[in-house]
Amino acid sequence: MSTEEKASAEDRAAAAEGSATSSTAAQGLTIVARTQGQLVRRRFLRHRAAMISLTILVLVILLAYTSIGFAGIPGWWIWNYYTPAKVVNKGAPTLSLWPTFLGGEGFAIGVHPFGQDDLGRDYFALTMRGAQISIMIAFVVGIVSTVIGVTIGALSGYYRGWVESGLMRFTDVMITIPILVIAAVLGQRFGGAGPIVLAVVIGLVVWTGLARIIRGEFLSLREKEFVEAARALGAKPKRIIFRHILPNTVGVITVAATLAIASAILLESALSYLGFGVRAPDTSLGLLVSTYQNAFTTRPWLFWWPGLFIITIALTVNFIGDGLRDAFDPRQNRVRA
Amino acid sequence: MTVPPTTPPDDVAGGSIYGPARQESDLFQVVEPSQGAEVFRSQLSSVGDVEVLKVENLTVGFPTEDGLVRAVRGVSYALHEREVIGIVGESGSGKSVSSMAVMGLLPKGARITGTISFRGQNILSMTRQQQRSLRGRKIAMIFQDPMTAMNPVYTIGDQLAEAVLSHEVMPKKQAMARAEEMLALVGIPQPKARLGSYPHEFSGGMRQRAMIAMAVINNPDVIIADEPTTALDVTVQAQILEKLIEVKDAFNAAIVLITHDLGVVAGMAHRTLVMYAGRPVELGKTDEVFYRPRMPYTAGLLGSIPSRGETTRLRPITGAPPSLINLPDGCPFSPRCPLATDICRTSEPELAPTDAPDHLAACHHWDVLAAAPDPTAFFRTESDARK
Amino acid sequence: MAPFILRRLFISFFVLLGATFIVYVLVANAGDPRSALVESADPGKATKIASMTRNLSLDVPVIPRYFAWLGGALGCLIGKCDLGNTSTGASVISGLSVAVGATLRLVVFALLIAVVVGVSVGIVTALRQYSGLDYSVTFLAFLFFSLPVFWIAVLMKQFLAIKFNDWLRAPTIPPWAILVLAVFLGLLAAGVVGGNRRRRLAAFAGAGIAVALILIYLSVTDWFAEPGIRPAIMIVMSAITAVLSTALFAGFRSRTVLYATMVTAAVGVICYFTLDSILADPTVLLILGLLVVALLVSAAIGAAMGGLYRSQAIKACMLTGFGCAGLVFAAQLLAAVPAYSAKVNGVVIATIGATTPNFSGNFWETTLDQLGHLILPTIAIVLISIASYTRYTRSSMLEVMNADYIRTARAKGLTERTVIVRHGFRNALIPITTLVAIDVGGLIGGAIVTETVFGWSGMGKYFNDALKIPDPNAVMGFFLITGTAIVLFNMIADIAYGFLDPRIRLS
Repeated sequence: MSTEEKASAEDRAAAAEGSATSSTAAQGLTIVARTQGQLVRRRFLRHRAAMISLTILVLVILLAYTSIGFAGIPGWWIWNYYTPAKVVNKGAPTLSLWPTFLGGEGFAIGVHPFGQDDLGRDYFALTMRGAQISIMIAFVVGIVSTVIGVTIGALSGYYRGWVESGLMRFTDVMITIPILVIAAVLGQRFGGAGPIVLAVVIGLVVWTGLARIIRGEFLSLREKEFVEAARALGAKPKRIIFRHILPNTVGVITVAATLAIASAILLESALSYLGFGVRAPDTSLGLLVSTYQNAFTTRPWLFWWPGLFIITIALTVNFIGDGLRDAFDPRQNRVRA
Repeated sequence: MTVPPTTPPDDVAGGSIYGPARQESDLFQVVEPSQGAEVFRSQLSSVGDVEVLKVENLTVGFPTEDGLVRAVRGVSYALHEREVIGIVGESGSGKSVSSMAVMGLLPKGARITGTISFRGQNILSMTRQQQRSLRGRKIAMIFQDPMTAMNPVYTIGDQLAEAVLSHEVMPKKQAMARAEEMLALVGIPQPKARLGSYPHEFSGGMRQRAMIAMAVINNPDVIIADEPTTALDVTVQAQILEKLIEVKDAFNAAIVLITHDLGVVAGMAHRTLVMYAGRPVELGKTDEVFYRPRMPYTAGLLGSIPSRGETTRLRPITGAPPSLINLPDGCPFSPRCPLATDICRTSEPELAPTDAPDHLAACHHWDVLAAAPDPTAFFRTESDARK
Repeated sequence: MAPFILRRLFISFFVLLGATFIVYVLVANAGDPRSALVESADPGKATKIASMTRNLSLDVPVIPRYFAWLGGALGCLIGKCDLGNTSTGASVISGLSVAVGATLRLVVFALLIAVVVGVSVGIVTALRQYSGLDYSVTFLAFLFFSLPVFWIAVLMKQFLAIKFNDWLRAPTIPPWAILVLAVFLGLLAAGVVGGNRRRRLAAFAGAGIAVALILIYLSVTDWFAEPGIRPAIMIVMSAITAVLSTALFAGFRSRTVLYATMVTAAVGVICYFTLDSILADPTVLLILGLLVVALLVSAAIGAAMGGLYRSQAIKACMLTGFGCAGLVFAAQLLAAVPAYSAKVNGVVIATIGATTPNFSGNFWETTLDQLGHLILPTIAIVLISIASYTRYTRSSMLEVMNADYIRTARAKGLTERTVIVRHGFRNALIPITTLVAIDVGGLIGGAIVTETVFGWSGMGKYFNDALKIPDPNAVMGFFLITGTAIVLFNMIADIAYGFLDPRIRLS
């Protein structure tokens, strides 16, 4: 092709794509190209509930892990969670928030802001320790179940024949067992082996919902033309799965993983409450509630603080998941009134 | 592009509806109307006198997070009994939105101004009840994709009968009988048995016929067909269009035919309205608009149609339509127009009469087009000439 | 259809088989039921340990033990169930049959409420997307979804039971409470009604004032101490039921349906006045029989008076009849409250168990007793489930309302009510029904925490107690029932889907 032809061909090609060349510059508009990731991030940052929740969650996690230290690294809080201290204020919280001009005692943190338990241990430290364990378990369960769920879902969604039926039947079998039931049975056996072992073991059995969702995505994506094209070019299944289909399911996976973490925290607290989860001497938020539920009338703070933390963590993670779901979904058509 | 199958037999070098075979050197040949299109359009019955629909200065805006989307900016046309008007334009030109405004189907946040008169009464100032009594009864609409346009869980008969029963109280049996009549009218075999079928059991063409039946079952005065053949096979398209004309004559109705396919309009419409960026840019008798376009956009559209036997490159209009939120000053087509001058870029032309009566165009330089022997030539580039 | 069901049953059988194997192995490895005895200081523990070993075949390795258990379980298919004994020697079957009944009583009721309320709220928020009501409901849904049951249960026991029972002794409603409730319900009405500012303001004022007046009346007359439905109230509420039923099924374009429902309501009011003697101490059978009669009579009225709108009239009248029957039932129940309260020393809302021990009374008092014990655990279950129903219905309804056929329905000139109910909801119902069916399947074994917290001796508590030991046969018996329910209802869900969606009719 001669240079003029090439130039005009490029011009036309550029015009066909609508990108910023002479043709569109003449319209007085610049089109800024954004990647999918940038679009998603923009939409997520606009979702107020998700952003607020993200901030709160990060603050809570930071508080839990830095205040009393973790894994040998010391924290900035003066008390730890296992040494009894002198009983102050009859064990009631010394935290006061009500300002003086409204009749309260002003803002003060005091010696034991969350109060003390029946043995005199600082309850803030205890709650933070419980939060640490609960958060850790929730994230490990979330990650393990996501990995397994995506693997099984992808394989059973992409391949046909024996692989598909075999994995599907296996998933059906696991679905038949209620999650709390199997988690409790495993917790009975492994609960004493420490929170991480417990978390991994639970993660091994709670992936069924995720697997189903991913399988559905793969089933619909495997019929798309770009997969056919890749196959026609001779791409191996592994490449098709990882390079073509999986990136299109990132949205679904992220959302599902986030919601898995949220339900994991509720699952763990329920298990610990029933006695099949974290055992003494370790503690978790669920275990704290279980231990002190009868103290509600006499020492309500022992009951309120761990519960509030469970709710906060679960709620914020749920909102973040919802924000992610909205961010990945391109069909938002909001008309400002 | 689809052409009603009435072209005259072609020569070796081919011929198109727009003229006899063009010689390679005849780059500026005058295009004469061919016999085929004229014959087909003459089969359309004459237009009545009564004005059934009159749209005046219709504007529609949608407030969004990024600003006000001005989808329709001043559409006006009048429609008489038995008349077919074709509204042509690309996606985003506002052709569908203006018709949705006529039906009253726009979402709640839409801002509408102007008047839409049905037999003299302004629809936009009616109560919701009154609007609803017109919808589906006096003004009916046929949508693009018949598969998704019908409820999958109810039978065809149920949905047709529902259209009747929502405007007239009668026993269900009677409504079903009317539904059967309609199915027969649109050419669906074994209509009585088909009453009990579900939409997914029909083929695409039959589904669209059923949609036509649903639209005309209450004897409407105006039928709005929004891209009725776009989702169908080429062979079925012609049948559907023929059926539409039959039905129109049977009920003395007028049709607003919305499409992006010029061939459909050429064969069916008495008058053509070309829309661009939310505004009408040319309005006139179909023959006038097609053979003597007075707006560069129309000329560009006509020039971009590939014709049989032509061996030159395709000639699209370069560039893309403007954003409806940030419209540039002046004529919205000026960035892509080969005839654009300074005045075009500063002042938006009104839809004004040109040299022929009732032929309106929104262009400052319509006279340049009128003087040119081949208006589509302006859109050719040098590389074409060399071939 | 039949070959499909048979094939599903066949596959489900083997799926269940596989699941029982997995659970058996896990439970067998979860611990030794004899460990409590081993660690105890009981002098006779050696014999006890030996007898337990024999009883539960604990000397046999796990896999053959599984097959032995399986043999007994398979006998259930031919009517000779043998699920073994618990570690204490009791029969698993007898323990389970008691537990199942208790759980069913709890979850059926809770599920019904959760579904009805959840789906209604979901539909309303879908239709009022992005409104204040939508955001508030969404936030509440998320909040309830994130609540740990055992934590909220303690709060409920304190405030909804203990404090409520105390309040019942002197049931006046303080003015601030009246104000708060009136404002809150007014806002709710405004949100539901939608439309322009004037309409919403009118709804707010109307609902707020109505609520305030009702609450003042209730407080001044000490209604809660001696509740009941006075004749005037009965007439008004029956009329309202008639109007609402008409609005839902037929709209007000023609008066025919309205007249029919009004007549039905009138019949209901007559029953209210005349059936006192029959309803003094009825049996459950009598109540059910009367309900059936009420529905038939309402249907007859609808058919007779419906005219051109016969099918809609029948549905509307039946709903009215059902509502009025409910009102009559409630009237009798409420009238028995003082007597009941006296018998239980004022503990009207109970916190533990399913019934008051050693309680005796007539039908109404016993029913009140059961209801009083049901309320708290039911609310707990409803709170948790309602969130997912609301969200699911909302998204399903939104997807449906954006579909093309809704636009076609509007283009045909149908009223908005018809579009929403007949076209929108009918299609949104398909995935919701599947969800409900699957949920029912999971509920039988799913209320473990709730039952434990409220001392409800159902399947959940059975499982909890059994797993603590761990007691293999008892846990397996529990799982057999819950697993079968899950598998069965998953199959029902698929069948229902095919039934409701003609595109997926099973060939």
